[in-house]
Amino acid sequence: MNRELTRREVLLGAGALMALPALPAWATAPVPQAGRVAVAKCKTYGPELLPALSKIFDQLGGLDRLVKGKTVAVKINLIGVRSQRLGSALMEDTFWTHPHVIGSVVHLMGKAGARRIRVVEGPWSSPETLEEVMLSMNWKPQDILNAAGNVEFENTNYLGRGKKYARLMVPSGGLIYPGYDLNHSYEDCDVFVSCAKLKEHAATGVTLSMKNVYGSTPVTIYGEGAGVDEPSIRPHGGRGGTFHFARRMPSKSAPQQIDMSLPKDAGYRIPRIVAELCTARPVHLAIIDGVKSATGAETNYGSPNRPQAAINPGVLIAGTNCVATDAVAMAVMGFDPMAVRGTAPFVSSDSMQQLGESLGIGWRDPSKNEVAGAPISEVVFSYTAVRDRILAAKKKA
Amino acid sequence: MALSTESIPMRWPAGPLDIARRKNEKGFTADTAEVLGKWLDPATLAVVKGTPVNSLVVSWAEGLPEDAAQQQALKPLIEKGRQAGLDFVGVIEGKADRTAAIAAAKSAGLSAVAMDGDAPASAGIAVIPRNGHTQMRWTANSPVMGVSNGVWPGIPQEMVPTGGPTSLPWVNSNAAVVRIARALAPGKSVWIEFDPPQGAAQPAEAYMLAVADTASFGAGWVISLDDALRADLAANKQPAVDAWKKVTGMVTFFQQNKPAGTYRQTGPLAVVSDFAGPDWFPGEEAVNLLPRVREPYRVIARSRAASASFDGLQAVYYVDQEPPEPLLRQKLIDFAKGGGTLFVPSKWPEPEGSPTEAEPYFLFSLRALGKGRLAVCKADRPNSYDTVEDIQTILSHRNDQLRLYNAPSMNFYCQASAQGEREVIHLLNYSRRPGSDGPLLFVKKPHRRARLVSPELAAPVELQWAPQEAGGAELSLPGIAVYGAVELES
Repeated sequence: MNRELTRREVLLGAGALMALPALPAWATAPVPQAGRVAVAKCKTYGPELLPALSKIFDQLGGLDRLVKGKTVAVKINLIGVRSQRLGSALMEDTFWTHPHVIGSVVHLMGKAGARRIRVVEGPWSSPETLEEVMLSMNWKPQDILNAAGNVEFENTNYLGRGKKYARLMVPSGGLIYPGYDLNHSYEDCDVFVSCAKLKEHAATGVTLSMKNVYGSTPVTIYGEGAGVDEPSIRPHGGRGGTFHFARRMPSKSAPQQIDMSLPKDAGYRIPRIVAELCTARPVHLAIIDGVKSATGAETNYGSPNRPQAAINPGVLIAGTNCVATDAVAMAVMGFDPMAVRGTAPFVSSDSMQQLGESLGIGWRDPSKNEVAGAPISEVVFSYTAVRDRILAAKKKA
Repeated sequence: MALSTESIPMRWPAGPLDIARRKNEKGFTADTAEVLGKWLDPATLAVVKGTPVNSLVVSWAEGLPEDAAQQQALKPLIEKGRQAGLDFVGVIEGKADRTAAIAAAKSAGLSAVAMDGDAPASAGIAVIPRNGHTQMRWTANSPVMGVSNGVWPGIPQEMVPTGGPTSLPWVNSNAAVVRIARALAPGKSVWIEFDPPQGAAQPAEAYMLAVADTASFGAGWVISLDDALRADLAANKQPAVDAWKKVTGMVTFFQQNKPAGTYRQTGPLAVVSDFAGPDWFPGEEAVNLLPRVREPYRVIARSRAASASFDGLQAVYYVDQEPPEPLLRQKLIDFAKGGGTLFVPSKWPEPEGSPTEAEPYFLFSLRALGKGRLAVCKADRPNSYDTVEDIQTILSHRNDQLRLYNAPSMNFYCQASAQGEREVIHLLNYSRRPGSDGPLLFVKKPHRRARLVSPELAAPVELQWAPQEAGGAELSLPGIAVYGAVELES
């Protein structure tokens, strides 16, 4: 992954960005800082998980340095229609952050002195408490709540326990929106952690620590059933109508789209929304659960060209910078972290990592970051190869 | 043969009255008229020979000039049918002279007439009350109740792009009406009428679903075929014969597996209502939508609730705006005090208990009441889906006995034998085709044995329990196109 970019790649990359009509922050965006990323082999969610996580956190400089005495918000990933699983595979073994990963992270944070740990997520369309969402999938949420002192859950699809929504502005002025109104948990924290899954996405190629932040947006404001003027009280509908396709605008009380003529293409919009969200709500620690996962994406049911399969990459990745961490994760998945639109995994979307880099979040090029732990070459698990094997088998059949 | 709970009815459109009724409809052609004429021919009775169908429902009088000709034209068909052991039921509707029509029916040898309004005191023939579901006369003196406005079950095409608020697709089903009917008129047969969408030939699976959507809940669909299928059956075309065989095979399956007749409905929640007047809509919507949030429930008529067993219930949803009678109110309050959750409408006078903390978005405010809770709705006309969603959340998934995955277009319905040693979970697939992944059924308390029975299977399939780390076990089911039932034995 440390190879030089070809002239063609440079031109393609630059061209892709030049073609983007709105990158106003380019000239003023801060120069990305080098990130530190750690990788560990971990084949199961059993006893090897906690030491593996502990080790990669140590390789990042230690959790206590980050969380001691702090309020930590851990954004997990419970997205997708939970009644639809990949065969008999459990959601946590395919598309969701595994409860043992969540519990272990919470435990280690508590051990490192975190004052309060709030596990947050806006599960698709649902008003249910996170505890109820977990119970509906036969999890034991109490195990997570008891993994450290002062742990709580919050469904951030709506106002929740807050009195008002927190307005987080995009420092550069924004690519799609100048700012976002989010549940108070994303402001009322000293440390923000994105605890994601190593997986693909139908519209944006990959869903890693950056894309996980997309789910922080409350559907009372950004959902298909959001209030027109003010946020609805109750969450209804997914975010696709507003974010993917601009079929409707967010509630008028929230910052509105900066330019109504922007493309209504999910492959254009989502990477930008994700990148700017990651500047409005910076990620201090990115954790990616790649122990078990799935090819395809949770919304790819039955797609003949992107078949889904439960897989066991057996890897954990963590980093202090979400762009750098995602870049390493892409390399682990067998993708080129420097890939641009038109190249796998960004077949029909822009690269949110590239956009994040342009906004000054971090570097995609692993050679510009410090990568510790297991060498990437030893943990590469090609998602494309799995898909190719399935397609070949289908063709043969 | 007398009309009974064993009757399997089929609509038999034929003759001048049906032609007159249909001729102003869109899509009516000379071919349609020809088929309607052809089905007067007694030879067409061969269609039902060897099938479970034993009652033919014919148009009898509508107050149109064609009434007399209709009754005359049907004579040969009725005569031959009766010789073959078939019952005939004449539908009297519109502005028909009821007394004259009933007399003509009796004289023609019909077994019964079906009509709205009150039956004449001395009809001399069985009268099936036939009304729309909101006007049913549940206490009428007839072993059969006719519901005239059922819906063609399935996933309506116009709803596909939007789906339901759960992200699960919207489904049309007659289950709610049937379950309410069976609660309000226990022991009676419920016949429910609905026609296939005209203009396009329906696949056999659509008819199979129509049978299952009513029979699995203990009712009978008055089988009604589309014009194309009737034309092809009259012409003895093989694809039509094969499709018809599948439909009657489904009917036979439910005749041979009659759980609804003897098993009791189960679930941790009871919906209590009189399902009348202004209470029909919230009651029917709750019964209709609870399956979409996967919450098993029982339906209890308010008039019987005071004497009904609440054993095994975790919650009761009292729907009606009118407060319950003192005896029932006391029973409901005692139930809550004993540890249950009682959901009541906003008009519940002087709510018992003391306020307690709840999620702010809930439609219900919660009150601690003894060992249980009283949940009082905050809205006078609450959104029906939000209501059932909140009921489920307040009940908590912690108490789920069953969960269904990989089956977005399916509903399930639970029954148990009197002693509870055998349970049946009916699974209906409203998409009429198996999903890419077979359904997964989570059962909190695994049983000694589980098997899947379905008319789609040559023989019952023994199912294997897959124990789950956090408790309970899952059953991996083969793909089900229309209907299957998981039988659990303890």
